[in-house]
Amino acid sequence: MEEALEITNRNPTWSGTGLVRQVTFPLALLIVLFIGAGFVNPRFLSWDSLRIQLTLAAFIGIAGIGQTLAILIGQIDLSIPANISLSAILSANVYGQTSNPILSLIAGCMVGAIAGLLNGIGIAWLRVPSLIWSLGINLVLQGTTLVYTDTAAPSSTIAPFARWIVTGTVVGVPIILAFWILLSAACLVVLDSTAFGRRIYALGNNELATAMSGINVFQVYFPVYLISGLTASITGILLSGYSGQTYLGIGDSYLLIPIAAVVIGGTTLAGGRGGYFGTMIGSVAVVLLDSVLTSLQVSPGLRKIFFGTIIVAMMLLFRRKRGLE
Amino acid sequence: MKSQALGRGYQAIPFAMLAPAIGFALVLLIYWIQQPLILSDFGIVSLCNQSVALSLAAMAQTLVVIAGGIDLSVGSLISLSTCFAATYMGTSEGAAVPVLCATLLIGVLTGALNGALVVFGQLEPLIATLGTSFVFGGIALQIRPQPGGSVPPWFATMLTGNLSFLPYSLVLLLVTVCLIWVPLRKSRIGRAIQAVGNNEHSAYISGLNPKKAKLFAYATAGLLTAVAGLFITAQTTSGDPNVGDAYTLNSIAAVVLGGVSLRGGRGRIAGPILSGFLLSTIVSALLAWGISALWQSLIQGLVLLLVLAGVGLQIQRSESWRQFFG
Repeated sequence: MEEALEITNRNPTWSGTGLVRQVTFPLALLIVLFIGAGFVNPRFLSWDSLRIQLTLAAFIGIAGIGQTLAILIGQIDLSIPANISLSAILSANVYGQTSNPILSLIAGCMVGAIAGLLNGIGIAWLRVPSLIWSLGINLVLQGTTLVYTDTAAPSSTIAPFARWIVTGTVVGVPIILAFWILLSAACLVVLDSTAFGRRIYALGNNELATAMSGINVFQVYFPVYLISGLTASITGILLSGYSGQTYLGIGDSYLLIPIAAVVIGGTTLAGGRGGYFGTMIGSVAVVLLDSVLTSLQVSPGLRKIFFGTIIVAMMLLFRRKRGLE
Repeated sequence: MKSQALGRGYQAIPFAMLAPAIGFALVLLIYWIQQPLILSDFGIVSLCNQSVALSLAAMAQTLVVIAGGIDLSVGSLISLSTCFAATYMGTSEGAAVPVLCATLLIGVLTGALNGALVVFGQLEPLIATLGTSFVFGGIALQIRPQPGGSVPPWFATMLTGNLSFLPYSLVLLLVTVCLIWVPLRKSRIGRAIQAVGNNEHSAYISGLNPKKAKLFAYATAGLLTAVAGLFITAQTTSGDPNVGDAYTLNSIAAVVLGGVSLRGGRGRIAGPILSGFLLSTIVSALLAWGISALWQSLIQGLVLLLVLAGVGLQIQRSESWRQFFG
C-alpha cells in the first residue's frame, strides 16, 4: 500500500512517509517547546523575544538550505562554519575598504562559490567521502581566514544592506523573515517541482541507478555544493549585519546546529528522504531549544552533548534498514 | 574480482610503507639543512614529542579502518581524555594513577559506544562517529570549559623526558605497539577483525563473529586514542576542549599515506606510524624555514586535501568506486 503510494506520487517530498515525518516530529517538538518556554519564562512568548528567535532561526534555516540539499543527495557539508566566518570577514573588509555594497556582496559570495566548487571537485570527481573532504575544506578555509586576518584585521564597518536586512521591517514584518521565506519558497519549489529536485532525491536514493538512467550525476553534485557554499556565504554576510562586527570564529556554532535542524526536520542522513519543509520547522525548534536551555543556565558543554545525542538518536530512529549483506 | 584486488593490495603494501619513510627522510633533510640541531639529543626528543600523539591516533584509526570502518570521533575523544586527565590528575597526591586508569577506561567505553552504534545500531561508521564526536566534544567542554588544569611533574617527565638521545615518547610508542598492537594482530580476534574488514559475509560464513570483532576493534581504538590523549596531556601539562580537533583528519591522512586501504581488510602499522611522524614534521620544518605559524593550519589543510585527492584518484583508477562507498 505504502509502496504503491510512493510510486504514484510524483513529488517525493510530499509522499506519504516523507512529509508526515518532516512535519510531525519537529512540530510536536516545537509545540512542547513553546509550552515549556512559556512555563520557564512567559516573556519567551512575547513578540520581541520571538522576533529574535526567528531571526536566529533564519540564519540556521538559510545555512540549512545547503545542508539539507547536501544531506538529501546522501552527502554532507562540514565546511559551512569556516565558510560563514571567511565570508563574513571578507565581505565586511571589502565594504570597509571600498564602501561598495555590491563588491562586498560579491566578495562574500565568491568564498562560498569557491568552497562549493572545491567540495564538488573532491566529492564528485575524486570521490572522497564528503564527511572527510568537506572537513578538510573547512580546515583550509579556517587556515585561509587566519592568514588573511593577519594581514587585514576584521573590519567593524558592515555594509548597510546587511544591517538593513537583519534589523529592518517592512509593514511590521522583519525583512530577514521575508527573505528567509522567499529563499525557502524557492528551495521548496526547486525540490518539488523541477527535474533538478527529482534528481537530488534520485541521487540520494541510489547513485548507481541514477547514473545508469542517464543522469549526469556531476550536474547534481556541483550545483548542490555550490548552493550550499552560497547559502553559507549569505548566512555569513547576514550574521555580520546581525552582530555589527566580524571576528574569527563567527561561524563556529554553525556546524552542529544546522545539522541538528535538518535531522530533527526528518531528513535522513543516509540521503534520499526528507526535504526543506522539515528543516524550516527544525531550525525554529533548535533555536528555541537552545534558548530555553540557555535560560535554564545549561552550560555550553551540556547543550552540545544534548544536541549531539539528539542527532545520534534521530539517526537510530530513522536509519535505513540494512539487510544481511 | 575480490581476490584480484586482494592480490594487488598485498603487493602494494611494501611500497606503501616505503613512501612515508622516504617522505619523512626528505622532510627531515630539509629541516636539517636549515636547523642542524634537529639531529641533536634535544632535537630528536622534541621531534618525537611532536609526532608520537599523531602516530598513536593513527594507530587507533588504522585498527578501525582495517575492520572496515572509520572513526571521526578520534579528535574529540583526544580532547575529552586530555580534559579529563588534566582536570582530575592534579587534584591530590594519590589521584594520578587512578585518573590515568580511568582515562583509559573512558577510551575503551567511548570506543565501545562507537562500535555499538555501528554494530547494533547498524549505522554507517562515518555518520555514527560524527554524531558521537559532538557528544564527546560536549563532554570535554563540560569538564573543562576553558583550557587549563595540571598534571604531576613526574607524569609529564615520564612521557616526554629523555635518556640522552632516547626520548621516552618513543618508548611509549614502542610499548604501545608491543603490548597492544602486536598481541592483538596475532590473536584470534585480531585475525577476525581483518577478516571482517575484508568481507563481513565470508567471515560470518567461516564461523567468525563479525559483531564481536568490530566491537573489539572500536573499543581498542578508543583505548589507543586515550593513550594519545594522555600523551598530549603530559606534553601540554593541561587540558583543552579543542586540542584534539586536528587529529581526526590528520589520523585519517596518516592511515591513507601509510598505505592502509580505506576499504578495510588489510594494512600494517609501520606505514601509519611513519606517516604520523611525516605529517607532524612537515609543519615544524616549514616553521624552521621562517614560514609564519599562522600558515600552519592552511598548510596542514592543503597537505590533507592533497593526500585525500591522491587516494581518491587511486581508488577511481584501481576499482569501481561503488565498492568503496557501498
